[in-house]
Amino acid sequence: MDNIIEISDLTFEYTDNDNSETVLNGLNLSVERGSFTVILGHNGSGKSTLAKLVTGLLKPASGEIMVDGMSTLSEEHENEIHRRVGLVFQNPDNQIVATIVEEDVAFGPENLGIEPAEIRKRVDDALKAVDMYDYREHAPHKLSGGQKQRIAIAGIIAMEPECIVLDEPTAMLDPRGRKEVIDTIYRLNKEKGITILLITHYMEEAENADRIIVMDKGEIVADGAPKEVFADVKTIKSVGLDVPQTTELLYLLKQNGIDAKDGIISISECEKELKRILSEV
Amino acid sequence: MVRDVTFGQYFPAKSIIHKIDPRLKLLLLISFIVFIFVCGNAFSLALMGAFTVALVVMSRVPIRLFLKSIKAIIIVIILTSILNALYVDTGRVVFEVWIIKITTGGIARAAFMSSRILILILASSLLTYTTTPTALTDAIERLLKPLRFIGLGEAVHVMAMMITIALRFIPTLIEETDKIMSAQKARGADMDSGSLLHRVKALIPILIPLLISSVRRAYDLADAMECRCYTGGAGRKRMKQLHLVAHDYVSLLVCIICFAGVIGLNILF
Amino acid sequence: MSMLTVENLTHIYGEHTPFEKSAVHDISFQAEKGEIIGVIGHTGSGKSTLVQHFNGLLKPNSGRILLDGEDIWANPKEIRKIRFKIGLVFQYPEYQLFEDTVFEDIAFGPKNMGLDEAEIKERVLKTAKMLGIRDELLEKSPFDLSGGEKRRVAIAGVMAMMPKVIVFDEPTAGLDPAGRDLVLEKIKEYRDLTGALVFIVSHSMEDMAKTADRLLVMNKGELFMFDKPENVFKESRVLEEIGLSVPQITRVFCRLHDSGINVPDDIYTVESAIAAISPLLKKGGTANG
Repeated sequence: MDNIIEISDLTFEYTDNDNSETVLNGLNLSVERGSFTVILGHNGSGKSTLAKLVTGLLKPASGEIMVDGMSTLSEEHENEIHRRVGLVFQNPDNQIVATIVEEDVAFGPENLGIEPAEIRKRVDDALKAVDMYDYREHAPHKLSGGQKQRIAIAGIIAMEPECIVLDEPTAMLDPRGRKEVIDTIYRLNKEKGITILLITHYMEEAENADRIIVMDKGEIVADGAPKEVFADVKTIKSVGLDVPQTTELLYLLKQNGIDAKDGIISISECEKELKRILSEV
Repeated sequence: MVRDVTFGQYFPAKSIIHKIDPRLKLLLLISFIVFIFVCGNAFSLALMGAFTVALVVMSRVPIRLFLKSIKAIIIVIILTSILNALYVDTGRVVFEVWIIKITTGGIARAAFMSSRILILILASSLLTYTTTPTALTDAIERLLKPLRFIGLGEAVHVMAMMITIALRFIPTLIEETDKIMSAQKARGADMDSGSLLHRVKALIPILIPLLISSVRRAYDLADAMECRCYTGGAGRKRMKQLHLVAHDYVSLLVCIICFAGVIGLNILF
Repeated sequence: MSMLTVENLTHIYGEHTPFEKSAVHDISFQAEKGEIIGVIGHTGSGKSTLVQHFNGLLKPNSGRILLDGEDIWANPKEIRKIRFKIGLVFQYPEYQLFEDTVFEDIAFGPKNMGLDEAEIKERVLKTAKMLGIRDELLEKSPFDLSGGEKRRVAIAGVMAMMPKVIVFDEPTAGLDPAGRDLVLEKIKEYRDLTGALVFIVSHSMEDMAKTADRLLVMNKGELFMFDKPENVFKESRVLEEIGLSVPQITRVFCRLHDSGINVPDDIYTVESAIAAISPLLKKGGTANG
């Protein structure tokens, strides 16, 4: 199996003054190239720290993270790791550098020292890929949250990365912005084959992922396809997360002794399952 | 919209003046200012004035905006006029009372000096109205590039980067200030009455949250820039390369003709 | 007499300028003591503009807001006092914390009201306790707390003023499910304890379905609907037309209803869904067509 990210025995702790807090504890995880993986966890479960470790912004206390065969600990590979694994932050305002959309998208490729004509092409392509080409000459601060996040994503695509890590990219957005961003990253995964590592606490966003990892207290408590993970409503609720109403309804029916299928998330599947149950009574 | 300071005084319009390469525009403004002071007589100054007015009309920026910039320094113009009129004592006496004596020479001098200031203001406003701050920053960075030969290349880049980031975040911080102010008002903060000391104290609940959030933003931005492979100015290539094109050369030529005219008129009269 | 009455409220941004834009238009409604009203509508629908009128942060261009029958702008100089009666908790309120200690920060509002020391102390302790802020946190810096704790401290800062009407703008934004449930629970607790009228501006239909007594739906600056959740969600098709989602479970039951199965189409919580479907499972009678 071709893995873009390999994490082995990863431990990380924050120390300030006398206190030290272990955030991640002996984590092992690999992410397959081209896959769409969702990491779920409540606030403080260590998932944002993991995002910064994978992108090389933080260094492991012990253990190792290999990105495309390069260790995040090696200084000579630092820039190449940044290029291959991009990071989208929660607050859309804090990651936009320039006062014009297209100049912001160009920021990454400019740093790579690419020829101007090639930068122009990459910027145009990236803006088209996130459906923001028409806004290329706008001022970023006048855009909506969802649009700003798409600009941030375009800024990363323009560096032609292998993988994009998104740290709660929709937490500050309204439902419309949330949908724009989620649709965009699913499309990028499918059409460009970019590996996606989405960190979130919105279950609905995980519905179409290849794999879901649930984290709690710096450890992995569940790992599998969405249907498997969502079937385990008890574990999800025990770590302070929530399941979609559809999943919960069928789960409760099953608890009441009705033969309902596990792990259903989408509205149409829930409708189909309820019809089946009702017709079999 | 009133608070849209990112674009400073920039007024978007499609004119030849807007299109001139910002580096050239900046250099032309500097030479323009020099030539305003080169003008030795009313004829050459009149030529500069006529040229400036022509440019103002060509820029398609509403005249009222230029009037606004003039209004801002009207006091300086009046003061200069009065002082010149009082100090210069040549020609026929027009008016004399007590120690105040106004002569034709004084009036001419006052008119000459205030015209100079007026032209200066019009020309510099022309630059700021037709060029975005971003383009100006960019122009300065590129014009100062030769400084790298004396080891100041990175310093120039850092300055330009700082200005760009400041321009980018000013609107965000203004919006945030508004929000924090409303929030503290909702908690009963009284910001509109009381003594000066009281009012200064009333700013603390606004300034502290603003400071904390700016620091947080700065950390985020630093991380975001690192993630996007930023390692300083070295090795960076810009997407937008500035090249002088036909209309830049034409503009340059027109200005040179005007400057030559100024020198000619200076010699002739 | 209603606790809060809004009469023909209209607000125009930048009046008499080329950028003139009507933000809310001719809004009228009445809200009663002890109600929790969910204010929904997508970004730009005017919901934030509307609620900022309640405590006089914005002044209507026309129309009135009456608290217990009295116009809040009757005496414009006293508008600050209105803010003690009508509280407003902004979005991400933790960003407005500024004092050295949690205690001082919660005390900021009560101090502005001019209460005496003893009263301030009592209110801070009481509110902190209600919001589950442990005593040992009170002497800590608010900046050392976790995200969820900061949010509750900021909310306590407004609640300690004991307003009769309290408005929350997206109180659960950015919180995880556990933090979200806790905040909504505390809001309900405040209502039960004080009998206050509560407004919650929210994007989450599921949250509002669980929490609100009535829903106020804004669309393009106008009051689109103001009714009990079951009546509002019954109109799920109309809501979707104006770009609002309805709870997932509502959509499932609307679809079942539409395909001829004998279930109600005004289901909006999982509990009511179970209640609606259980009889069908027992009797074995379905009208599947």
